[in-house]
Amino acid sequence: MQQKDSQLQKLTAHLFRENAGKMAAVLSRRFGLEQLDTILDCIQDTFEAALTRWRYGNVPDNPAAWLMTVSRNKLINALKRSARMNPEEMIIEQETITQPDFVIDEQHILDSQLRLLLACCQPVISEKNQIILTLHILCGFGVPEITNALRMQQEAVKKSLTRSKALLQQQPPQQLTRTSPIDSDRLPLVLTILYLLFNEGYKTTRKTKGIDPDLCYEAVRLTRIVFETVDINREQTAALLALQFLTLSRFPARLTDAGEWLSLEEQNRDLWDQRMITEGFSYLRKATQGRQISRYHFEALISSIHCCAKMFEDTDWPTIVMLYRQLEQLNPRDVSITLNRIIAESYYSDPLLCLHELNSIPAPDQIPGFLLEAARGHLLQRAGLYTDAANAYLLAKSLALSPVDQQLLGKKIKACG
Amino acid sequence: MKEFLLLLRESTDLAQMTPEEMQADMQAHLQWMEELVQKGHFKAGNPLDAEGRHIRGANRLITDGPYVESKECISGFYFLLASSLEEATTIAAGCPALNSGGMVEIREVIETHAAEG
Repeated sequence: MQQKDSQLQKLTAHLFRENAGKMAAVLSRRFGLEQLDTILDCIQDTFEAALTRWRYGNVPDNPAAWLMTVSRNKLINALKRSARMNPEEMIIEQETITQPDFVIDEQHILDSQLRLLLACCQPVISEKNQIILTLHILCGFGVPEITNALRMQQEAVKKSLTRSKALLQQQPPQQLTRTSPIDSDRLPLVLTILYLLFNEGYKTTRKTKGIDPDLCYEAVRLTRIVFETVDINREQTAALLALQFLTLSRFPARLTDAGEWLSLEEQNRDLWDQRMITEGFSYLRKATQGRQISRYHFEALISSIHCCAKMFEDTDWPTIVMLYRQLEQLNPRDVSITLNRIIAESYYSDPLLCLHELNSIPAPDQIPGFLLEAARGHLLQRAGLYTDAANAYLLAKSLALSPVDQQLLGKKIKACG
Repeated sequence: MKEFLLLLRESTDLAQMTPEEMQADMQAHLQWMEELVQKGHFKAGNPLDAEGRHIRGANRLITDGPYVESKECISGFYFLLASSLEEATTIAAGCPALNSGGMVEIREVIETHAAEG
Protein backbone atom coordinates (compact mmCIF):
# COMPACT_ATOMS: atom_id res chain seq x y z
CA MET A 1 0.00 0.00 0.00
CA GLN A 2 3.04 2.29 -0.19
CA GLN A 3 1.81 3.92 -3.37
CA LYS A 4 -1.20 5.22 -1.44
CA ASP A 5 1.06 7.72 0.32
CA SER A 6 1.04 11.40 -0.57
CA GLN A 7 -2.00 11.29 -2.82
CA LEU A 8 -3.03 14.55 -1.22
CA GLN A 9 0.11 16.28 -2.42
CA LYS A 10 -0.95 15.86 -6.02
CA LEU A 11 -3.86 18.21 -5.36
CA THR A 12 -3.12 21.89 -5.39
CA ALA A 13 -5.35 24.38 -3.62
CA HIS A 14 -8.46 25.20 -5.67
CA LEU A 15 -7.46 22.60 -8.30
CA PHE A 16 -11.09 21.92 -9.22
CA ARG A 17 -12.21 25.51 -9.21
CA GLU A 18 -9.30 26.69 -11.30
CA ASN A 19 -9.54 23.87 -13.79
CA ALA A 20 -13.28 24.39 -14.18
CA GLY A 21 -12.43 27.68 -15.89
CA LYS A 22 -9.64 26.18 -17.97
CA MET A 23 -11.85 23.36 -19.21
CA ALA A 24 -14.71 25.73 -20.02
CA ALA A 25 -12.29 27.93 -21.95
CA VAL A 26 -10.60 25.19 -23.98
CA LEU A 27 -13.82 23.31 -24.72
CA SER A 28 -15.90 26.32 -25.68
CA ARG A 29 -13.13 27.53 -27.96
CA ARG A 30 -13.02 24.18 -29.74
CA PHE A 31 -16.71 23.29 -29.77
CA GLY A 32 -18.35 26.71 -29.73
CA LEU A 33 -20.03 28.89 -27.14
CA GLU A 34 -23.42 27.66 -28.35
CA GLN A 35 -22.57 24.40 -26.55
CA LEU A 36 -21.88 26.21 -23.28
CA ASP A 37 -24.64 24.52 -21.28
CA THR A 38 -23.56 21.05 -22.42
CA ILE A 39 -19.93 21.94 -21.72
CA LEU A 40 -20.71 23.09 -18.17
CA ASP A 41 -22.74 19.92 -17.54
CA CYS A 42 -19.86 17.77 -18.74
CA ILE A 43 -17.43 19.62 -16.48
CA GLN A 44 -19.70 19.01 -13.49
CA ASP A 45 -19.92 15.30 -14.46
CA THR A 46 -16.15 15.17 -14.68
CA PHE A 47 -15.74 16.53 -11.15
CA GLU A 48 -18.27 13.99 -9.88
CA ALA A 49 -16.30 11.20 -11.53
CA ALA A 50 -13.06 12.53 -10.07
CA LEU A 51 -14.57 12.86 -6.59
CA THR A 52 -15.91 9.30 -6.66
CA ARG A 53 -12.63 7.79 -7.80
CA TRP A 54 -9.96 9.95 -6.24
CA ARG A 55 -11.23 9.96 -2.72
CA TYR A 56 -10.39 6.27 -2.49
CA GLY A 57 -6.78 7.18 -3.10
CA ASN A 58 -6.41 6.91 -6.85
CA VAL A 59 -5.42 10.44 -7.77
CA PRO A 60 -3.78 10.46 -11.22
CA ASP A 61 -0.25 11.84 -11.56
CA ASN A 62 -1.45 14.81 -13.54
CA PRO A 63 -4.91 15.62 -12.15
CA ALA A 64 -5.40 18.70 -14.33
CA ALA A 65 -4.71 16.73 -17.53
CA TRP A 66 -7.06 13.97 -16.36
CA LEU A 67 -9.86 16.49 -15.77
CA MET A 68 -9.31 18.11 -19.15
CA THR A 69 -9.29 14.82 -21.05
CA VAL A 70 -12.26 13.31 -19.27
CA SER A 71 -14.39 16.43 -19.71
CA ARG A 72 -13.43 16.59 -23.38
CA ASN A 73 -14.32 12.93 -23.87
CA LYS A 74 -17.61 13.38 -22.06
CA LEU A 75 -18.42 16.36 -24.24
CA ILE A 76 -17.59 14.53 -27.48
CA ASN A 77 -19.83 11.66 -26.42
CA ALA A 78 -22.64 14.03 -25.47
CA LEU A 79 -22.38 15.90 -28.78
CA LYS A 80 -22.36 12.65 -30.75
CA ARG A 81 -25.44 11.45 -28.88
CA SER A 82 -27.24 14.68 -29.62
CA ALA A 83 -26.10 14.57 -33.27
CA ARG A 84 -27.63 11.12 -33.62
CA MET A 85 -30.93 12.45 -32.31
CA ASN A 86 -30.79 15.64 -34.39
CA PRO A 87 -28.94 14.71 -37.58
CA GLU A 88 -28.88 18.31 -38.80
CA GLU A 89 -26.63 19.31 -35.92
CA MET A 90 -22.90 19.64 -36.15
CA ILE A 91 -21.17 16.34 -36.69
CA ILE A 92 -17.95 15.90 -34.83
CA GLU A 93 -16.79 12.59 -36.22
CA GLN A 94 -13.27 13.90 -36.61
CA GLU A 95 -12.95 14.29 -32.86
CA THR A 96 -11.71 11.24 -31.11
CA ILE A 97 -11.57 10.23 -27.50
CA THR A 98 -8.07 10.52 -26.06
CA GLN A 99 -6.18 8.89 -23.24
CA PRO A 100 -5.94 10.66 -19.89
CA ASP A 101 -2.28 11.55 -20.36
CA PHE A 102 -3.20 13.81 -23.27
CA VAL A 103 -1.75 17.17 -22.25
CA ILE A 104 -2.88 20.45 -23.76
CA ASP A 105 -0.25 23.12 -24.27
CA GLU A 106 -0.26 25.64 -21.40
CA GLN A 107 -0.16 28.60 -23.77
CA HIS A 108 -3.26 27.31 -25.57
CA ILE A 109 -5.07 27.09 -22.23
CA LEU A 110 -4.03 30.64 -21.27
CA ASP A 111 -5.08 31.96 -24.63
CA SER A 112 -8.44 30.18 -24.44
CA GLN A 113 -9.09 31.66 -21.01
CA LEU A 114 -8.45 35.13 -22.38
CA ARG A 115 -10.91 34.52 -25.21
CA LEU A 116 -13.61 33.31 -22.84
CA LEU A 117 -12.93 36.25 -20.52
CA LEU A 118 -13.40 38.59 -23.47
CA ALA A 119 -16.64 36.87 -24.34
CA CYS A 120 -17.87 37.34 -20.75
CA CYS A 121 -16.90 41.01 -20.64
CA GLN A 122 -19.09 42.55 -23.26
CA PRO A 123 -21.43 45.47 -23.10
CA VAL A 124 -24.60 43.47 -23.92
CA ILE A 125 -24.22 42.11 -20.41
CA SER A 126 -24.35 44.54 -17.45
CA GLU A 127 -21.18 44.99 -15.38
CA LYS A 128 -22.64 43.24 -12.37
CA ASN A 129 -23.73 40.32 -14.52
CA GLN A 130 -20.33 40.17 -16.20
CA ILE A 131 -18.76 39.71 -12.77
CA ILE A 132 -21.23 36.95 -11.87
CA LEU A 133 -20.70 35.21 -15.21
CA THR A 134 -16.90 35.45 -15.01
CA LEU A 135 -16.90 34.08 -11.47
CA HIS A 136 -19.06 31.19 -12.58
CA ILE A 137 -17.53 30.02 -15.82
CA LEU A 138 -13.92 31.22 -15.55
CA CYS A 139 -13.35 30.93 -11.82
CA GLY A 140 -15.47 27.84 -11.17
CA PHE A 141 -17.55 29.49 -8.43
CA GLY A 142 -20.82 27.71 -7.75
CA VAL A 143 -24.08 29.58 -7.12
CA PRO A 144 -23.78 29.41 -3.30
CA GLU A 145 -20.24 30.78 -3.46
CA ILE A 146 -21.23 33.69 -5.71
CA THR A 147 -24.23 34.33 -3.45
CA ASN A 148 -21.86 34.62 -0.50
CA ALA A 149 -19.14 36.59 -2.20
CA LEU A 150 -21.45 39.22 -3.68
CA ARG A 151 -24.05 39.16 -0.89
CA MET A 152 -26.86 38.41 -3.28
CA GLN A 153 -29.92 36.21 -3.15
CA GLN A 154 -29.45 32.70 -4.55
CA GLU A 155 -32.37 33.16 -6.94
CA ALA A 156 -30.97 36.43 -8.26
CA VAL A 157 -27.63 34.79 -9.03
CA LYS A 158 -29.32 31.90 -10.82
CA LYS A 159 -31.46 34.27 -12.86
CA SER A 160 -28.47 36.39 -13.81
CA LEU A 161 -26.51 33.33 -14.92
CA THR A 162 -29.35 31.97 -17.01
CA ARG A 163 -29.77 35.30 -18.77
CA SER A 164 -26.05 35.88 -19.34
CA LYS A 165 -25.41 32.35 -20.60
CA ALA A 166 -28.25 32.73 -23.08
CA LEU A 167 -26.67 35.96 -24.32
CA LEU A 168 -23.26 34.29 -24.60
CA GLN A 169 -24.66 31.40 -26.60
CA GLN A 170 -26.12 33.85 -29.11
CA GLN A 171 -22.76 35.43 -29.80
CA PRO A 172 -21.24 35.06 -33.25
CA PRO A 173 -19.39 31.74 -33.43
CA GLN A 174 -16.05 33.30 -34.43
CA GLN A 175 -15.94 34.98 -31.01
CA LEU A 176 -13.52 32.45 -29.59
CA THR A 177 -11.58 31.46 -32.68
CA ARG A 178 -10.47 34.58 -34.54
CA THR A 179 -6.71 35.05 -34.86
CA SER A 180 -6.26 38.16 -32.78
CA PRO A 181 -8.98 38.01 -30.19
CA ILE A 182 -8.52 41.44 -28.67
CA ASP A 183 -8.23 45.03 -29.83
CA SER A 184 -7.61 48.20 -27.86
CA ASP A 185 -11.35 48.90 -27.60
CA ARG A 186 -12.10 45.70 -25.78
CA LEU A 187 -9.23 45.67 -23.31
CA PRO A 188 -10.55 48.50 -21.07
CA LEU A 189 -13.84 46.61 -20.63
CA VAL A 190 -11.99 43.53 -19.45
CA LEU A 191 -9.72 45.49 -17.12
CA THR A 192 -12.73 47.29 -15.64
CA ILE A 193 -14.35 43.97 -14.76
CA LEU A 194 -11.13 42.65 -13.23
CA TYR A 195 -10.79 45.90 -11.25
CA LEU A 196 -14.38 45.62 -10.00
CA LEU A 197 -13.98 41.92 -9.22
CA PHE A 198 -10.93 42.73 -7.12
CA ASN A 199 -12.77 45.55 -5.33
CA GLU A 200 -15.66 43.23 -4.51
CA GLY A 201 -13.14 41.23 -2.51
CA TYR A 202 -12.43 43.95 0.01
CA LYS A 203 -15.60 45.95 -0.02
CA THR A 204 -16.76 46.29 3.53
CA THR A 205 -20.17 47.78 3.06
CA ARG A 206 -22.19 44.61 2.76
CA LYS A 207 -20.06 42.04 4.48
CA THR A 208 -19.78 40.70 7.97
CA LYS A 209 -16.18 39.82 7.31
CA GLY A 210 -14.12 42.62 5.86
CA ILE A 211 -12.16 40.82 3.22
CA ASP A 212 -12.84 38.02 0.80
CA PRO A 213 -9.32 37.26 -0.46
CA ASP A 214 -10.58 34.53 -2.80
CA LEU A 215 -12.22 37.10 -5.06
CA CYS A 216 -9.05 39.18 -5.01
CA TYR A 217 -6.87 36.20 -5.89
CA GLU A 218 -9.16 35.25 -8.75
CA ALA A 219 -8.99 38.80 -10.07
CA VAL A 220 -5.18 38.67 -9.89
CA ARG A 221 -5.09 35.28 -11.63
CA LEU A 222 -7.22 36.55 -14.51
CA THR A 223 -5.36 39.86 -14.78
CA ARG A 224 -2.12 37.90 -15.07
CA ILE A 225 -3.62 35.90 -17.91
CA VAL A 226 -4.41 39.15 -19.69
CA PHE A 227 -0.89 40.43 -19.01
CA GLU A 228 0.68 37.26 -20.38
CA THR A 229 -1.47 36.92 -23.47
CA VAL A 230 -2.26 40.45 -24.63
CA ASP A 231 0.41 42.54 -26.35
CA ILE A 232 -1.45 45.82 -26.49
CA ASN A 233 -1.75 48.31 -23.63
CA ARG A 234 0.47 46.18 -21.44
CA GLU A 235 1.37 49.15 -19.23
CA GLN A 236 -2.26 49.49 -18.25
CA THR A 237 -2.59 45.81 -17.36
CA ALA A 238 0.71 45.98 -15.45
CA ALA A 239 -0.60 49.01 -13.53
CA LEU A 240 -3.73 47.10 -12.54
CA LEU A 241 -1.59 44.18 -11.37
CA ALA A 242 0.64 46.56 -9.40
CA LEU A 243 -2.44 48.04 -7.73
CA GLN A 244 -3.78 44.57 -6.90
CA PHE A 245 -0.52 43.32 -5.39
CA LEU A 246 0.12 46.48 -3.37
CA THR A 247 -3.43 46.36 -2.01
CA LEU A 248 -3.14 42.63 -1.22
CA SER A 249 0.09 43.25 0.69
CA ARG A 250 -1.83 45.11 3.41
CA PHE A 251 -4.51 42.44 3.95
CA PRO A 252 -2.68 40.64 6.80
CA ALA A 253 -2.76 43.90 8.78
CA ARG A 254 -6.27 45.07 7.98
CA LEU A 255 -8.28 42.93 10.35
CA THR A 256 -7.63 42.08 13.98
CA ASP A 257 -8.03 38.48 15.14
CA ALA A 258 -11.41 39.51 16.49
CA GLY A 259 -12.44 40.63 12.99
CA GLU A 260 -12.18 44.34 13.68
CA TRP A 261 -11.28 46.59 10.80
CA LEU A 262 -8.07 48.62 11.18
CA SER A 263 -7.46 51.89 9.39
CA LEU A 264 -4.13 52.60 7.66
CA GLU A 265 -3.17 54.63 10.71
CA GLU A 266 -3.70 51.73 13.13
CA GLN A 267 -2.21 48.91 11.08
CA ASN A 268 0.93 47.14 12.22
CA ARG A 269 3.07 47.73 9.15
CA ASP A 270 5.37 44.85 10.04
CA LEU A 271 2.52 42.56 9.01
CA TRP A 272 2.43 43.92 5.46
CA ASP A 273 3.41 41.18 3.04
CA GLN A 274 6.81 42.15 1.64
CA ARG A 275 6.64 39.59 -1.19
CA MET A 276 3.43 41.17 -2.44
CA ILE A 277 4.99 44.63 -2.17
CA THR A 278 8.01 43.50 -4.21
CA GLU A 279 5.72 41.95 -6.80
CA GLY A 280 3.65 45.14 -6.88
CA PHE A 281 6.70 47.31 -7.45
CA SER A 282 7.99 45.06 -10.19
CA TYR A 283 4.67 45.46 -12.07
CA LEU A 284 4.73 49.17 -11.32
CA ARG A 285 8.09 49.42 -13.11
CA LYS A 286 6.64 47.59 -16.10
CA ALA A 287 3.64 49.91 -15.99
CA THR A 288 5.71 53.05 -16.17
CA GLN A 289 7.96 52.08 -19.07
CA GLY A 290 5.72 53.52 -21.74
CA ARG A 291 3.81 56.73 -22.18
CA GLN A 292 0.46 55.34 -21.22
CA ILE A 293 -1.23 56.46 -18.07
CA SER A 294 -4.52 55.26 -16.63
CA ARG A 295 -6.53 55.38 -13.43
CA TYR A 296 -4.79 52.14 -12.43
CA HIS A 297 -1.44 53.93 -12.67
CA PHE A 298 -2.50 56.66 -10.27
CA GLU A 299 -4.15 54.27 -7.85
CA ALA A 300 -1.12 51.97 -7.88
CA LEU A 301 1.18 54.93 -7.31
CA ILE A 302 -0.90 56.10 -4.35
CA SER A 303 -0.82 52.61 -2.94
CA SER A 304 2.94 52.42 -3.45
CA ILE A 305 3.47 55.62 -1.45
CA HIS A 306 1.64 54.07 1.50
CA CYS A 307 3.77 50.96 1.14
CA CYS A 308 6.95 53.09 1.31
CA ALA A 309 6.06 54.82 4.56
CA LYS A 310 7.55 52.98 7.54
CA MET A 311 5.10 54.71 9.84
CA PHE A 312 1.78 56.43 9.21
CA GLU A 313 3.40 59.75 10.19
CA ASP A 314 5.97 59.31 7.39
CA THR A 315 3.31 59.27 4.66
CA ASP A 316 4.03 61.65 1.79
CA TRP A 317 0.57 63.26 1.75
CA PRO A 318 1.30 66.13 -0.69
CA THR A 319 2.30 63.63 -3.39
CA ILE A 320 -0.78 61.51 -2.69
CA VAL A 321 -2.97 64.61 -3.00
CA MET A 322 -1.27 65.50 -6.28
CA LEU A 323 -2.00 62.00 -7.61
CA TYR A 324 -5.63 62.17 -6.47
CA ARG A 325 -5.99 65.50 -8.30
CA GLN A 326 -4.79 63.86 -11.49
CA LEU A 327 -7.23 61.01 -10.92
CA GLU A 328 -10.00 63.57 -10.48
CA GLN A 329 -9.13 65.12 -13.84
CA LEU A 330 -9.23 61.69 -15.44
CA ASN A 331 -12.59 60.79 -13.83
CA PRO A 332 -14.32 64.11 -13.17
CA ARG A 333 -17.62 62.45 -12.32
CA ASP A 334 -16.29 60.09 -9.65
CA VAL A 335 -16.75 62.11 -6.45
CA SER A 336 -15.38 59.33 -4.25
CA ILE A 337 -11.93 60.31 -5.55
CA THR A 338 -12.54 63.87 -4.38
CA LEU A 339 -13.56 62.56 -0.98
CA ASN A 340 -10.33 60.58 -0.71
CA ARG A 341 -8.28 63.56 -1.81
CA ILE A 342 -9.89 65.80 0.82
CA ILE A 343 -9.12 63.27 3.55
CA ALA A 344 -5.50 63.02 2.37
CA GLU A 345 -5.23 66.79 2.33
CA SER A 346 -6.46 67.04 5.92
CA TYR A 347 -3.26 65.42 7.18
CA TYR A 348 -1.18 68.45 6.34
CA SER A 349 -3.55 71.39 5.84
CA ASP A 350 -6.32 73.19 7.70
CA PRO A 351 -9.05 70.61 8.41
CA LEU A 352 -11.76 73.29 8.48
CA LEU A 353 -10.91 74.35 4.94
CA CYS A 354 -11.12 70.69 3.98
CA LEU A 355 -14.51 70.47 5.69
CA HIS A 356 -15.66 73.45 3.68
CA GLU A 357 -14.62 71.70 0.51
CA LEU A 358 -16.32 68.47 1.61
CA ASN A 359 -19.57 70.40 2.10
CA SER A 360 -19.38 71.73 -1.44
CA ILE A 361 -18.83 68.38 -3.19
CA PRO A 362 -21.23 68.22 -6.13
CA ALA A 363 -23.70 65.34 -6.05
CA PRO A 364 -22.65 63.99 -2.63
CA ASP A 365 -25.47 61.44 -2.86
CA GLN A 366 -23.17 59.36 -5.07
CA ILE A 367 -21.14 58.59 -1.96
CA PRO A 368 -22.61 56.15 0.57
CA GLY A 369 -24.03 58.26 3.42
CA PHE A 370 -22.00 56.63 6.14
CA LEU A 371 -18.72 57.34 4.30
CA LEU A 372 -19.60 61.00 3.88
CA GLU A 373 -20.50 61.38 7.56
CA ALA A 374 -17.42 59.46 8.66
CA ALA A 375 -15.29 61.81 6.56
CA ARG A 376 -17.01 64.78 8.17
CA GLY A 377 -16.33 63.29 11.59
CA HIS A 378 -12.70 62.77 10.67
CA LEU A 379 -12.24 66.41 9.61
CA LEU A 380 -14.00 67.74 12.72
CA GLN A 381 -11.86 65.49 14.90
CA ARG A 382 -8.70 66.78 13.27
CA ALA A 383 -9.92 70.33 13.90
CA GLY A 384 -10.29 69.49 17.59
CA LEU A 385 -14.10 69.84 17.55
CA TYR A 386 -14.64 66.54 19.35
CA THR A 387 -18.32 66.89 20.24
CA ASP A 388 -19.27 67.69 16.64
CA ALA A 389 -16.98 64.90 15.44
CA ALA A 390 -18.65 62.38 17.75
CA ASN A 391 -22.07 63.42 16.47
CA ALA A 392 -20.98 62.97 12.85
CA TYR A 393 -19.53 59.53 13.65
CA LEU A 394 -22.76 58.65 15.46
CA LEU A 395 -24.77 59.55 12.38
CA ALA A 396 -22.33 57.59 10.20
CA LYS A 397 -22.69 54.56 12.44
CA SER A 398 -26.46 54.67 12.15
CA LEU A 399 -26.11 54.70 8.35
CA ALA A 400 -23.44 51.98 8.10
CA LEU A 401 -24.72 48.56 7.09
CA SER A 402 -21.79 46.29 7.83
CA PRO A 403 -20.89 45.30 11.41
CA VAL A 404 -17.23 45.85 10.53
CA ASP A 405 -17.87 49.51 9.69
CA GLN A 406 -20.12 49.96 12.71
CA GLN A 407 -17.38 48.66 15.00
CA LEU A 408 -14.79 50.95 13.46
CA LEU A 409 -17.08 53.96 13.89
CA GLY A 410 -17.87 52.95 17.46
CA LYS A 411 -14.15 53.11 18.21
CA LYS A 412 -13.92 56.57 16.68
CA ILE A 413 -16.85 57.83 18.76
CA LYS A 414 -15.06 56.63 21.89
CA ALA A 415 -11.86 58.36 20.83
CA CYS A 416 -13.75 61.67 20.67
CA GLY A 417 -15.34 61.26 24.12
CA MET B 1 -5.29 -8.01 13.67
CA LYS B 2 -8.81 -8.70 12.52
CA GLU B 3 -10.25 -7.61 9.21
CA PHE B 4 -13.37 -5.50 8.91
CA LEU B 5 -15.54 -4.54 5.97
CA LEU B 6 -16.83 -0.98 5.96
CA LEU B 7 -19.80 -0.32 3.74
CA LEU B 8 -20.48 3.32 2.91
CA ARG B 9 -24.03 4.42 2.29
CA GLU B 10 -24.50 7.94 0.97
CA SER B 11 -27.30 9.94 -0.54
CA THR B 12 -25.35 13.12 -1.31
CA ASP B 13 -26.56 14.79 -4.44
CA LEU B 14 -23.25 15.49 -6.14
CA ALA B 15 -24.90 17.67 -8.77
CA GLN B 16 -25.66 20.21 -6.04
CA MET B 17 -22.02 20.53 -4.99
CA THR B 18 -19.67 23.24 -6.26
CA PRO B 19 -16.18 22.32 -7.53
CA GLU B 20 -14.64 23.77 -4.36
CA GLU B 21 -16.95 21.73 -2.12
CA MET B 22 -16.19 18.58 -4.07
CA GLN B 23 -12.46 19.13 -3.74
CA ALA B 24 -12.83 19.76 0.00
CA ASP B 25 -14.83 16.54 0.39
CA MET B 26 -12.26 14.58 -1.58
CA GLN B 27 -9.35 15.97 0.41
CA ALA B 28 -11.08 15.09 3.68
CA HIS B 29 -11.41 11.48 2.49
CA LEU B 30 -7.82 11.29 1.31
CA GLN B 31 -6.62 12.77 4.59
CA TRP B 32 -8.59 10.19 6.54
CA MET B 33 -7.32 7.38 4.37
CA GLU B 34 -3.71 8.44 4.55
CA GLU B 35 -3.90 8.45 8.33
CA LEU B 36 -5.27 4.91 8.23
CA VAL B 37 -2.43 3.83 5.95
CA GLN B 38 0.14 5.36 8.30
CA LYS B 39 -1.32 3.62 11.33
CA GLY B 40 -1.52 0.31 9.49
CA HIS B 41 -5.32 0.11 9.52
CA PHE B 42 -5.86 0.31 5.79
CA LYS B 43 -6.06 -2.78 3.62
CA ALA B 44 -8.12 -1.84 0.56
CA GLY B 45 -10.96 0.35 -0.59
CA ASN B 46 -12.83 1.23 -3.74
CA PRO B 47 -15.90 3.11 -4.93
CA LEU B 48 -18.81 1.27 -6.54
CA ASP B 49 -20.53 2.42 -9.70
CA ALA B 50 -24.00 3.80 -9.14
CA GLU B 51 -25.46 1.59 -11.82
CA GLY B 52 -25.98 -2.11 -11.21
CA ARG B 53 -28.41 -5.04 -11.37
CA HIS B 54 -30.38 -7.08 -8.88
CA ILE B 55 -31.04 -10.75 -9.54
CA ARG B 56 -33.63 -12.33 -7.32
CA GLY B 57 -34.75 -15.88 -6.62
CA ALA B 58 -34.84 -19.14 -8.47
CA ASN B 59 -36.37 -17.62 -11.59
CA ARG B 60 -33.45 -15.17 -11.81
CA LEU B 61 -35.62 -12.06 -12.00
CA ILE B 62 -33.33 -9.23 -13.11
CA THR B 63 -34.06 -5.62 -12.18
CA ASP B 64 -32.11 -2.39 -12.37
CA GLY B 65 -30.72 -1.17 -9.13
CA PRO B 66 -29.61 -0.14 -6.66
CA TYR B 67 -31.24 3.24 -6.76
CA VAL B 68 -28.82 6.08 -6.34
CA GLU B 69 -31.34 8.40 -4.73
CA SER B 70 -32.04 6.05 -1.88
CA LYS B 71 -30.04 6.13 1.34
CA GLU B 72 -29.65 2.40 1.00
CA CYS B 73 -27.28 2.71 -1.92
CA ILE B 74 -23.75 1.53 -1.17
CA SER B 75 -21.28 3.99 -2.68
CA GLY B 76 -18.06 2.22 -1.73
CA PHE B 77 -16.27 -0.11 0.62
CA TYR B 78 -13.10 -0.35 2.69
CA PHE B 79 -11.29 -3.28 4.23
CA LEU B 80 -9.73 -2.18 7.51
CA LEU B 81 -7.47 -3.88 10.00
CA ALA B 82 -8.23 -3.44 13.68
CA SER B 83 -7.85 -5.44 16.88
CA SER B 84 -11.53 -5.40 17.80
CA LEU B 85 -14.95 -4.32 16.64
CA GLU B 86 -14.69 -1.44 19.13
CA GLU B 87 -11.49 -0.20 17.57
CA ALA B 88 -12.91 -0.61 14.06
CA THR B 89 -15.95 1.40 15.15
CA THR B 90 -13.77 4.21 16.47
CA ILE B 91 -11.83 4.30 13.20
CA ALA B 92 -14.98 4.24 11.10
CA ALA B 93 -16.46 7.11 13.13
CA GLY B 94 -13.80 9.32 11.53
CA CYS B 95 -15.07 8.67 8.01
CA PRO B 96 -15.82 12.07 6.38
CA ALA B 97 -18.85 10.65 4.55
CA LEU B 98 -20.65 10.81 7.90
CA ASN B 99 -20.34 14.61 7.92
CA SER B 100 -22.67 14.90 4.94
CA GLY B 101 -25.27 12.57 6.36
CA GLY B 102 -23.85 9.25 5.19
CA MET B 103 -24.03 5.93 7.02
CA VAL B 104 -21.26 3.43 7.67
CA GLU B 105 -21.79 -0.25 8.35
CA ILE B 106 -18.98 -2.21 10.01
CA ARG B 107 -18.77 -6.01 9.76
CA GLU B 108 -16.01 -8.27 10.86
CA VAL B 109 -14.74 -10.59 8.16
CA ILE B 110 -14.80 -14.14 9.50
CA GLU B 111 -11.44 -15.82 9.23
CA THR B 112 -12.69 -19.18 8.02
CA HIS B 113 -9.49 -21.07 8.69
CA ALA B 114 -9.22 -20.02 12.31
CA ALA B 115 -10.34 -22.39 15.00
CA GLU B 116 -13.70 -21.56 16.56
CA GLY B 117 -13.03 -19.62 19.80
